[in-house]
Amino acid sequence: MASNLTRRNFLKAASLAAASVPLSKVAARAQSGVVKAPLVAPGSFKDTQTAVGGLCEMCFWRCQLVGKVRDGRLVKLEGNPKSVDNGVSLCARGNAGVAMLYDPDRLKYPLKNVGKRGAPKWQRISWEEALDTCASKLKTIVDRDGAKGLCFFGHGSHAKYLMDFLERTVGTPNVSEASFFQCRGVRDTAYLTTLEIAPDENVDMANAKVIFLTGMHIGENIHLSHVKNYLRGLERGAKLVVVDPRYSASAAKSHIWVPIRPGTDTAMLLAIMNYLIENEKYNVDFVDEYGEGFEEFAEGIKEWTLEKAAAECDVPAAQIKEVADLLAANMPHVAIHPGRHTTWYGTDFQRSRALACLTGLLGAIGCKGGLVIPKKPKGLAKVNWPHLEHEEDIVLRELAEKHYFAPPGAPTELLRDAAITGEPYPIKGCVICGQNIIQCMPNQEKTIKMLEQMEFVLCVDIMPTDSTMYADILLPDCSYLEKGDIVKTGQQWDLSEEPQQYIAPRMALVAPGFERKDSIWITNEIAKRMGYGDKIPAQSQEELADKALAGVNLSLAKIKAEGGIHVQPGEDPYNNIEDLTVYFYSEDMEDEDYPPVPTYTPVERPPEGFVRLVYGRTPLHTFNRTANNPWLVNEAPINPLWVNDKLAARLGLKEGDTIKLVNQDGVTSRTTTTVKVTPGIREDVVYMYHGYGTRNPEMTNAVDRGIDDTSLITRIAVDPESGAHGMRNNFVKIMKAS
Amino acid sequence: MQYGMVIDVDRCVGCHACVIACKAEWEVPTQFDRNWVHRLGPSITSDGMAATYYPGLCNHCAEPPCVPVCPADPVSVTFKDAKTGKTVTMEVGATWKDPFNGTVQVDTERCIGCGACRDACPYNARFVNEALADDHSLGKVDKCTYCMPRVAEGLEPACVQTCLARARIFGDLDDPNSEVSQYVKKGAVGLTSQAVQIGPHGLYFASKKGDRELLMQAAPQEMPKVSMRRSMLTKMSIVAKNQVKEIGLLGLAGGLLVKSLQDDEK
Repeated sequence: MASNLTRRNFLKAASLAAASVPLSKVAARAQSGVVKAPLVAPGSFKDTQTAVGGLCEMCFWRCQLVGKVRDGRLVKLEGNPKSVDNGVSLCARGNAGVAMLYDPDRLKYPLKNVGKRGAPKWQRISWEEALDTCASKLKTIVDRDGAKGLCFFGHGSHAKYLMDFLERTVGTPNVSEASFFQCRGVRDTAYLTTLEIAPDENVDMANAKVIFLTGMHIGENIHLSHVKNYLRGLERGAKLVVVDPRYSASAAKSHIWVPIRPGTDTAMLLAIMNYLIENEKYNVDFVDEYGEGFEEFAEGIKEWTLEKAAAECDVPAAQIKEVADLLAANMPHVAIHPGRHTTWYGTDFQRSRALACLTGLLGAIGCKGGLVIPKKPKGLAKVNWPHLEHEEDIVLRELAEKHYFAPPGAPTELLRDAAITGEPYPIKGCVICGQNIIQCMPNQEKTIKMLEQMEFVLCVDIMPTDSTMYADILLPDCSYLEKGDIVKTGQQWDLSEEPQQYIAPRMALVAPGFERKDSIWITNEIAKRMGYGDKIPAQSQEELADKALAGVNLSLAKIKAEGGIHVQPGEDPYNNIEDLTVYFYSEDMEDEDYPPVPTYTPVERPPEGFVRLVYGRTPLHTFNRTANNPWLVNEAPINPLWVNDKLAARLGLKEGDTIKLVNQDGVTSRTTTTVKVTPGIREDVVYMYHGYGTRNPEMTNAVDRGIDDTSLITRIAVDPESGAHGMRNNFVKIMKAS
Repeated sequence: MQYGMVIDVDRCVGCHACVIACKAEWEVPTQFDRNWVHRLGPSITSDGMAATYYPGLCNHCAEPPCVPVCPADPVSVTFKDAKTGKTVTMEVGATWKDPFNGTVQVDTERCIGCGACRDACPYNARFVNEALADDHSLGKVDKCTYCMPRVAEGLEPACVQTCLARARIFGDLDDPNSEVSQYVKKGAVGLTSQAVQIGPHGLYFASKKGDRELLMQAAPQEMPKVSMRRSMLTKMSIVAKNQVKEIGLLGLAGGLLVKSLQDDEK
């Protein structure tokens, strides 16, 4: 038995032990070999200092934080008590920021890939060498091919400054943000076309009488003050309508759940609107005053009877009528939610436009419970890279004469095709910051092809991702807890309360670890080396914030002294719609040969033996940067596949069975997951959380956990109006894994 | 006074912030949790389709089965009522129910890590962190304390403070005016079953019948049987471990040897 105690086992046991010893105990041991360590953690309130000014970036909602810091080490994050947004609350991911900060898998030093792209071998290099290499490689491409020889993929506050440098000053038009082309861009341009309003998620749910959600699964996606807004509405008695093929977290709180056939939402919306018009149950006064092209619109959708939609959507006509009557009875105080992740079927502009038209038809704009744009503080100075003159005729969308209603930037599919084919011009330099393009863009094979043909790939991130495996140079960014890069502004979330506005610049809560540098410094250093030193808008992140704040006579120091957030009296956001026009019929769209009235285009149904693959959020993960978080992984280690109970019985599947998936193109999931058997999903669709099954072994907590949904989304759909991807047109077969 | 916690599942969205805030507050090792959120359903109930959440934690029960099974040598402890200053002196093992605030607490110093209390809890609210094993224990048991150290400082429990939905309400169930008592009047109940009736003070409020049904299905259906043999063996093995140590092996190696002996026994 003593022979069990090999050196290897000893070390293994010792390291396991070390892994689960509370930090306080480790700290106490480190200080002294003799002092008896406390067995119980002292609590975040004991012997800590409160660092103010944190701004979360575990998702893009950016809740305001304070950090409890003991001996230079962050022990806990809490909502900033001064916040009129999230208040003292945080979500699970926000709370888990501590575990992100100290994740041993994080990027620590500048790295050079001395192996292959996709199978990297990392060599630690100096910042000097890294920056010199980046600048010279990028400059070589720009000097030879022009700025259009570069492309950029990025997300969030990590990426903004670097993106602005490349897009505005260097001048590449090839910038493709996932937040637009794989998420919300199509919604925004559809609403802008219809209402001239970029909606974000600004529906006044707290004061609504009806909340109408299509596919939005609040509770599974958690944006903190947004969820508060929704819950306040429910508590005040709002009726909740949830249109979703799955009995989602929201459906579980709903009064009416419409288990719609996937891909048919537009048909239902058209039938609701047609019914309201035919029965004169719409907001006639509002439409008379603000509507344009209403007659053509009414004429254009009149084929959409309740019965026709019922057959298409596979829900009873009576239920569609019930929803329509409920909306009519409570208009204009109805929150028609614009949605967030809206890139579903490649027909999404029309659906989003139908939602905007429904909002207008009910007059639910600018009033309590409707679409209301909050009044943010004005006057912050714009500090940015200068917009330099660029060569003409290099914008992919214009060259392709496509996607007239694209959000800013280059539609991803055009960009990827250009890079792979070299037409209409070669793209040989790729910069990626804060975005994992492998796991957010459909058809990974194409993304990899695009990356492999590059002469140079630079990744800047806080974590390794499936995309950083393709970098030539990989630079370690500071996390949101170690830097200060942006200023968040807003209004209190319950618009019926005394109006308040806030200005919350991000401030570092702790010093950066290892050799991490903030992306503003990184950008400036690359810019200097590329010959743009004289164009730098701010020498440091602090200067960037202070210059912006100077516009409202504030500074980082002042706001820090105020507790990390500046709060000031706000403005009433209601009834401020004098400029509004609702374009029920859009001449702009007609001019560009798109259907000028919201139009339903059916999508392909699953072939025999297949079911549609749909994905969504777990409240425990947002991005790649949450995927490896040990605390979050412990709570949601894999992404079980939701399978309808009748379908499961037919396939011989039981709760907890381990399975693989194969899609219509014969692509098999690399990894496995388990089955969740439930009556709470339609038989023609299966569902899983997005963002699992990472393949990068440097993410030791996340690697190979669950199935990567994106790996199975190989069939590409592109929305003709916006150029955004549609990602729910793929079908899978379920295979039991032994 | 009896502290209790009501979870209003009408409000809960299942975000798990309560679990992670607790983890940070008390440095709970990654693989353990002092509290949890289980998603229930979607399932068909007698009221149609339903889905809800079971956010659980130590129930600080009226009759905690974890307390009498503790084999640690009892000591005399004087408890003081925070309000009145009144004191009571009792003989307690390494875990006890506080005579004044009704919470169930653990003395980590004196815990021998036998796991008897963990095994006795029908709600699985306790865990043993073996990494904290020392000369006198095989590890240390841990669980929710209702954040008494925070409450003593005038703070809310960490899980309550962070809850975006205000779904967690903490207070004195003996005070008829407290918010938790109001919830009891509205129908908040503990998760009990025919066999498990130990007076849990974690109470659940659901306005929908289907949600109540799912929660009740999540209640433990039987009382665990705890073998005292285990805790006796633990006491003995600690003595053995110390003897092994005395015959000259390195401390940690000695501990591992005893551990491997026990693993073999399992």
